[in-house]
Amino acid sequence: MKRYLLRRLALAIPTLFLVSVLVFALMRLMPGDVATRMVEGHAYAPTLAALRHDLGLDRPVHTQYLEWIGGIVTRGDFGRSYWTRQPILEEFMRRFPVTLELAFLTIVVSVVLGVLVGIVSAVRQDSVSDYVGRILAILALSIPYFGLAVLVVVLPSIWFKWTPVWSYVPFTTDPLENLKIMLVPAVVFGVTRAGPVMRIMRSALLEVLRQDYIRTAWSKGLAERPIILRHALKNAMIPVISLIGLQMPLYIGGSVIIESIFRLPGVGLFFFEALTRLDYPVVQSVNLIIAALVVGLNLLIDLSYAFLDPRIRY
Amino acid sequence: MPSSIHGFDTKSEGTSTASEASPRIAPDKPALEARPPGAPHRPTRPWWIDVWVRMLTGKPLGTIGGVIVVGMLTAAVLADWIAPYGYAQTSLRARFIAMSAAHWLGTDELGRDLLTRLIYGARISLYVGFGAIAIGSVLATLIGIVSGYLGGRFDLLVQRGVDAWMAFPPLLLLLSIMSLLGPSVWNITIVLGVAFGIQNSRVVRGVALLVKEHTFVESARALGAGHVRTTLTHILPNVMPTIIVVATTGLSTVILTEASLSFLGLGVPPPYPTWGGMLSLAGLDHMYRAPWLAIWPAVALSLAVFGFNMLGDALRDLLDPRLKGG
Repeated sequence: MKRYLLRRLALAIPTLFLVSVLVFALMRLMPGDVATRMVEGHAYAPTLAALRHDLGLDRPVHTQYLEWIGGIVTRGDFGRSYWTRQPILEEFMRRFPVTLELAFLTIVVSVVLGVLVGIVSAVRQDSVSDYVGRILAILALSIPYFGLAVLVVVLPSIWFKWTPVWSYVPFTTDPLENLKIMLVPAVVFGVTRAGPVMRIMRSALLEVLRQDYIRTAWSKGLAERPIILRHALKNAMIPVISLIGLQMPLYIGGSVIIESIFRLPGVGLFFFEALTRLDYPVVQSVNLIIAALVVGLNLLIDLSYAFLDPRIRY
Repeated sequence: MPSSIHGFDTKSEGTSTASEASPRIAPDKPALEARPPGAPHRPTRPWWIDVWVRMLTGKPLGTIGGVIVVGMLTAAVLADWIAPYGYAQTSLRARFIAMSAAHWLGTDELGRDLLTRLIYGARISLYVGFGAIAIGSVLATLIGIVSGYLGGRFDLLVQRGVDAWMAFPPLLLLLSIMSLLGPSVWNITIVLGVAFGIQNSRVVRGVALLVKEHTFVESARALGAGHVRTTLTHILPNVMPTIIVVATTGLSTVILTEASLSFLGLGVPPPYPTWGGMLSLAGLDHMYRAPWLAIWPAVALSLAVFGFNMLGDALRDLLDPRLKGG
């Protein structure tokens, strides 16, 4: 277990190094000049050259890269925004709880819906409820989440005079008010992600229910409920967990859109605003932090398999 | 009636077909062909016709998906003839008109006909979708086969690069690239194609690794075939079904991604109508006045995704049962 952990961590380092090179190269090699925009549109500095010098853009590219990555590795300094001159990590940490909460609630919604419908579908295979469940899953898969989000924002406000709450309240200030704000975006996003969860749940449970140890449980005379909930479900959850792990980047990517529709001040909105202003350091660092989080999360998910299925050992 | 929902049944059929599939491999036959139990095998029909026949007879949902896709294709190709107005034709007197005889689906804030824009939107979606998939499939095949066939240090290096790419949330990476390149039809097609290619090279590589181990590859090498000849005439035909499956199932993802980028204003630029762009964040204020502006593009997009998903799923079941999953 410990050796496996160390090996995985060692493998993560070159991956993250490549990630940093990739994202830095992308930002520097492509057309689009932030300095011109800052001087011409907003008069951040008297001349282009002065601003370039200020931002360090006049130095060789490899120096810039080493400075950026060196700051991260040695001081945990992810640089500052070109426009606001604020430290990026601070802003990221301030906004991260919003995105995390959104992702967490979304996953809860999609897993609860998907797993419940999936269990019913698998246990009552080929019954009417199975077909209804599978058709719902296909519908959920087909509706794009941003389309649903726009409809949920627009239609109720026309028909019922109801609008989502726009002014964000942090969880620590008023938990109840905060949940009221987060609920609609999380349900919208979660419902559209429940489709794949349901389909995986159904096929995994069907497979587990055919295994020998379930037959043993039946022949011991156990009731249906404990067999499914205590014996089968735990094993059948493994593919569901790996699906969520695989979809984690999707949840984070989707938060850009969901946060900009529902005006939630999370990392997604931070990223999108930086993007529209060509704020390279922010885009770079946010990409890198999130990639690191994804790599770490995948490791955690691999480790969770051993907990869910005692036959798995590393 | 079980057969009516056969199309997306993932489990009950999967186990039986997998065991009955004969791994007969010859350049003129798909390696991974599997037929449903009981179905007669007709070796006289080429496999790429056989697939469609089996789809029509045994996969109703796949067939529905196919019909939707064909409908979309027709709309896209015939847009110039069937669309009632021009896609950028504005009319200040006809702003925000609800559904009526003159404008079946209503008009938008500039008086442009919504139905017309939806029809032309199909063209752009398919143009970007097929373009990106074509670029991506070639790239995935190239990276996958070369990496899998050569193996060793080259493979290791390429795969770490793919790892790094896949560590990003795709939307963040694509947004970053598009914001720098600037929105344009060409840019988004190429960017989506490259992203699709890198991501799916892993699947192709996996199959190439399996095919490589077969004795017919060894015998071809023993007979003196070079690496290029071996990959082109022996590996490629056997990887082909997988590539077709990956490409069809990928189409809905690519169309959806294009829509989300256009939604944020970083995909296809105006005045080209795209479904994502029509739903867009920027137009949100108009939608309170004219809810049909939000409803119809969302419906069109959902239908397209549904169609491509069902068609892709059915093709996957028929062509490559090993890729079966959720």
